[in-house]
Amino acid sequence: MSRLYDTVEPAVIDEEMLKKAVEEQGPKEEAGKIAKQEGIDFGDVLSLRLDFLNILKIDNLWEFTKLTKLQLDNNIIEKIEGLESLVNLVWLDLSFNNIEVIDNLDSLTKLEDLTLYSNRISTIENMDSLLNLHVLSLGRNQLTDLENLRYLRRFKNLKTLNLSDNPFCKQDEYKQYVIAFLSNLEFLDYRLVDQQSRDAAIEKYQVSRDEMLHNEKQAEIKKEDETKRQQELEKHKNAYVELMNGPDLFEQMYAEDKEGQKLNEMPGLEDQLHSFKEKFMQICTQIFDFGIAEHEKREEEVKSFWECVEEAKQDNKRLGMVHIDEFTETKKRMLLEMSQMSDHKMVEQYARDYNDKIQVLWDKLMGLELQLVDQLEEVIKEFERNMQDMVGTFVENVQALLSQCRDLENNHHEKMMEIAIVTLEKVIKNELDDEISDDLKMLLVDKDTIINAVSSSHDVHLLKIDNKEDDIVTRINQSLKNLIEQIHQDEEITRNRMRVSEINNLIDHLREEMDNLEVMQN
Amino acid sequence: MDSSEMNEGEIHQIDSDDVIKEEDETENEEGEDLTEDAEALKAELAKIVVHPPSYEQSLMEEFDQAEFSPSYKDNLPKENLVLQYAENFRRQMVQLYRDRKPLFLNPVNECGVEKFVCTTIRPTLLEFKELYNWDGAAEFVADYLNIEPLKPEYELPKRLISPSTVLKRQKGNCFEYSTLLCSLLIGAGYDAYVISGYATKETCLADESRDICPLLKKKEEVQEEARKKEMKKYNVKPPRDLRSKFELKQESKKEAEKQAEKEKQRKEEEERIAELEKPPPDPYFGLRIHAWVLVLSGKREVPENFFIEPFTGLSHPMDSSNYLGIESVWNNVNYWVNMQDCSEGVKGLSFDLGDSTVWEFMFPNNDKPLLKIPDAEDDLNDMDDDERKYTSSSISTDDEEHEVEKYLDMPPSWVDALKLSHRDFQMRCPHGKKTKVYKRAKLEKFAHYLMKDGLISRLSVYEDRELTDLMKVHEYYAHRSDKLTQKLTNHRTGQVCENFDPGRPRCLKEHQFKSSTPGPENERVMIFYHEARVDGLVKREETQTEMTEEYSNRDDFLFYKYVEFGKRAKKFGPQETSSANKGRPINKMIQKFHRNRNKPANEDIAEIIFHVAEDKIHISYHTEDVRIAASTREFLKPPNWDEKGAVLTFNPEMHQTFQVDPMLPMNKQVELYEMLMELLKAEEKCRNEVRDSQNEVRNILDDRTKEEAASELDISVYDTERNEKAKKHRRELERQQLEEKMRKQEMDIDYLAPFLAKIGNPEKLSKQQAFSLKEECLADLKQRLIDKANLIQARFEKESQELEKKQAWYQQNQVSMGKEDEEEYLTYCKEAIFRIHILDLRLTRHKEQAPHKYMQLEQKLRNDERLSEFF
Repeated sequence: MSRLYDTVEPAVIDEEMLKKAVEEQGPKEEAGKIAKQEGIDFGDVLSLRLDFLNILKIDNLWEFTKLTKLQLDNNIIEKIEGLESLVNLVWLDLSFNNIEVIDNLDSLTKLEDLTLYSNRISTIENMDSLLNLHVLSLGRNQLTDLENLRYLRRFKNLKTLNLSDNPFCKQDEYKQYVIAFLSNLEFLDYRLVDQQSRDAAIEKYQVSRDEMLHNEKQAEIKKEDETKRQQELEKHKNAYVELMNGPDLFEQMYAEDKEGQKLNEMPGLEDQLHSFKEKFMQICTQIFDFGIAEHEKREEEVKSFWECVEEAKQDNKRLGMVHIDEFTETKKRMLLEMSQMSDHKMVEQYARDYNDKIQVLWDKLMGLELQLVDQLEEVIKEFERNMQDMVGTFVENVQALLSQCRDLENNHHEKMMEIAIVTLEKVIKNELDDEISDDLKMLLVDKDTIINAVSSSHDVHLLKIDNKEDDIVTRINQSLKNLIEQIHQDEEITRNRMRVSEINNLIDHLREEMDNLEVMQN
Repeated sequence: MDSSEMNEGEIHQIDSDDVIKEEDETENEEGEDLTEDAEALKAELAKIVVHPPSYEQSLMEEFDQAEFSPSYKDNLPKENLVLQYAENFRRQMVQLYRDRKPLFLNPVNECGVEKFVCTTIRPTLLEFKELYNWDGAAEFVADYLNIEPLKPEYELPKRLISPSTVLKRQKGNCFEYSTLLCSLLIGAGYDAYVISGYATKETCLADESRDICPLLKKKEEVQEEARKKEMKKYNVKPPRDLRSKFELKQESKKEAEKQAEKEKQRKEEEERIAELEKPPPDPYFGLRIHAWVLVLSGKREVPENFFIEPFTGLSHPMDSSNYLGIESVWNNVNYWVNMQDCSEGVKGLSFDLGDSTVWEFMFPNNDKPLLKIPDAEDDLNDMDDDERKYTSSSISTDDEEHEVEKYLDMPPSWVDALKLSHRDFQMRCPHGKKTKVYKRAKLEKFAHYLMKDGLISRLSVYEDRELTDLMKVHEYYAHRSDKLTQKLTNHRTGQVCENFDPGRPRCLKEHQFKSSTPGPENERVMIFYHEARVDGLVKREETQTEMTEEYSNRDDFLFYKYVEFGKRAKKFGPQETSSANKGRPINKMIQKFHRNRNKPANEDIAEIIFHVAEDKIHISYHTEDVRIAASTREFLKPPNWDEKGAVLTFNPEMHQTFQVDPMLPMNKQVELYEMLMELLKAEEKCRNEVRDSQNEVRNILDDRTKEEAASELDISVYDTERNEKAKKHRRELERQQLEEKMRKQEMDIDYLAPFLAKIGNPEKLSKQQAFSLKEECLADLKQRLIDKANLIQARFEKESQELEKKQAWYQQNQVSMGKEDEEEYLTYCKEAIFRIHILDLRLTRHKEQAPHKYMQLEQKLRNDERLSEFF
């Protein structure tokens, strides 16, 4: 809302303002003192209140990445902006501002409570990603169109809605309309929606509501089907034989082969073409089935590999923890004994013992780690070998099947050639003048042209098949390589480094502890 | 008939009883000796004077003949026929097998009448569900009756008392036990038989002092086989074993030797004990007559044949060594004689009662499937059958024509239906108590509600066989209002363990403590029904200085809490009364938590140790999945932390930490400070919880003492016998019913009575009398109706007059009247008018109804049975 006394200069969110707000709203008393000494990271702040500050533009908030609650009410903000990085925001209060358009909220997917009370908004829009919304306040705005409220149907969790003091509230059917179309609502305009009024409203808008529900359902089903298809395709892609269960490859062969398409119009070719297609498809299906089966086999292999690796790691971890626990027990005992000792020499003796024990622990842990490294290396090698074998067989089989395709194509080519020459003769004899299209006529001028045309069509077909083969082979080899590399990297190098540094860190800590103790005693 | 009988049964000669054989042998030996040294022996033998056996009239219990139904005192013709048949059978058996012991066929009953044993079985299904299964029925019979041993133990009893009488007198011999049990089992649908045979002394006298009490037998734990580790393709190889194979071998060899040595010793020991515990040799071994029950498989889903010992109610396998031989078996339809050799006891006997080579049946209507004969012999057999039938019919056509057509079947039982009152069933044992002695154990049983404290059985276990050195006592309770079900007292350690049913306040399930120190702050274990508890407490273990609590399924993932108490500070000066309740100081508290997967492992606390005495708090975190070490943290409490209202200061030296991942950023001071505050709060909370726990223990113990003192029993609302309230209620209901009935009687007053009385209540009315009676009755009613109308009329008039008077008076005095008087007058008028109106209404209604009433009475009179004949 516009203010009557806009005498104060519009303010900008700057470092000073933020610092002040954070300090004011941060921890109190002793904790506040400590925090002040230390300084507060904006990145750690969970909630921020910036109200009654005459802020015109939201800015400089990008540092507050952990923020869950932000209050910017009672300012003169005109545009929602600068909130993109606050992805953890759950509560956003922008009431009593001058906002005209809902915008730039797409990244705030965790938002549950949004207040835009008393602004100048005329349409509900641009909130598609706020699916977690529970509470929404749009009271005292410029909303006029009841139809626009259907937009809110996408928020399945929306329980509390405030729309009071909007122009459309003056319409008689406002309340019933809202209740009928947003039937999940529990509170509307500060009031509980009771079952009775809900039933009445639904009854009133029965027809249009049913239609809407039906449409929504249809859309949902469609979407589901689409995702299902996508998943299926994804699965086939992972098996490297996508689209091989349909006429895709066959159609591709002719897609760029204009001459072939023309040639196929030659009379007497239909049967030949038909049987060719059938046989070709058969082989494709074989490749597809084989690919899926092989894929499942590989998946199984990978799964069992990971299970075993996980098991080995768990066993190793258990052993390591046992050693550490044992050591902790001894440590406790020794420290207790040492604290009761008065003889300096004895203490020193104990300290030496303790250091030896630390060394022993280090040996044991490192031994375990080395053992695990050996074990894993061996297993990974075996896995690699097996996977390569499997991929090899797959590639060989696919290649064999595709060469069958090629043979088919060759056969087909010969037949084509024969038919082409026969047709040419006929054309030359003017026997088939009316039956062929002009395009085909262009090719059927002399022998060279037709032979060239048929051969080039053949070449295109072979090229397509070759491409497919290359595609499958390179992709599977590449992914295998990636997998193996990944395993080497994660399981051998990264894991080992992490464990070794962990052990050393622990041992250092233990030594340090001892030293501190001695220092204290001395 | 004789010849047919002979043809039917293929009676085989069996070996005579072993004992007799042995005796023969010894006689022979003696005979040989005699030739050697005749004179001396003669002199020796002359010393022996053989007395003829003096027949001792056994004192049989006499029964009052009057209380038995006629079927007990006499035989039906068919029963007589069966007895004759049995006698015939017996004679044939004697003829064929001279050295066989007599069969138990037709003993006399309690009225001195001979009855065939099969008809003494009276199949009955009683209404108690416990008796529907064989084990329940057998246990009931064993409990319900007292044992009367056979006298002498090697002779069949002369008398077999009917099961109905046995139930009444609650005692009987083995045959009576078995007959009763068999009646119940057949009634419940089992294929059960009474067996007459021989058994060991222990079995015959129900001496179980050599058997382990069935309650003490440990249930065989089903050991779950360790899940075999699946061999997967990529299992890692175990680290190489670098130990010397030879040494290992030597070691295992040594171990095995040791094991063998131990095993040997154990065996020897066992043998020694077994030798010691062997019963003394029995002079009548193999001669002691006994009866028990056989249950054959097939019916009621019994998978295997087995015996039931009626004295103990326990089942025995078919090769039990307690039973030494079988003479005959019978049920309510037939009688079979065993033709198999019993020199090996009952082991290996066939119980295919249809096989006539091993079981000689008495009645040919054998419902048992005959032994299957291969097809080749089938025809032959058929022919035999035909012939047999032919011969049997041809022979008997002369005298017993009616018998020829069908075989003689068993007459119905002569015994009255078995009856058992609910009360008797619940009393279970005679007088509600029974004591059994087992090997190193004594079992006492009590009827429910018999004992004041709800005790139903007590099992005492002793160290020695003489039952002098008490080891532990196991007591079972029922219906206690404090839900106590079991109490195990170990007299060696002084440990007491009490078990409770669910439903107690504070959900106590088990309580173990030392009887010498039952008070709080001593050694004890309490186990709870944690599903019912809000705090999910499973177990609380206490010693004098420690307390451990285990939890399950808590939202805060706490599963373990340990507290170490210090000694109470001794106070000098005046003793405060509250100090005793204040509890001991806490030295140390440990809380352990399960992993909360919603938090990163490095922030998820696994264990907090509050070193209260040292003002330290130690935290260990959970280990991350990929790591082996856990982060730790240690706080020193600020110096003035327990002062109220003090601002707690913080400095970095109060905190020490070890982070597994050195790359993680250090925690900020504020965070640490807040963490410390949280921890202080947590410590306070934990301390309060500990105090609460202590109070709870104290409360439970108080409750227990109170309950022990009161030992009240719960009575089910459905138990009308015992439930006083329910009884009262029922009596009240009965009383009400009676009253209702009385009232009804009063209602039915005879409207003719006064008129009948006028003419002197004649037996039968003449026509004239009837007419006059009717007239009189109607006239009377008419008069009454008129009277009533007059009465109403009179009242109506009186009211109207009074009103008029009042109105006149009012008109006269209207001027001088006060406001109150006027009001009074007005209310009076209103009421009077109302009354007049009502009277008017009543009058009109009466006028309307009077004719109806008259008609009604006339109708009634017309229909009255005394008058109806005249109209």
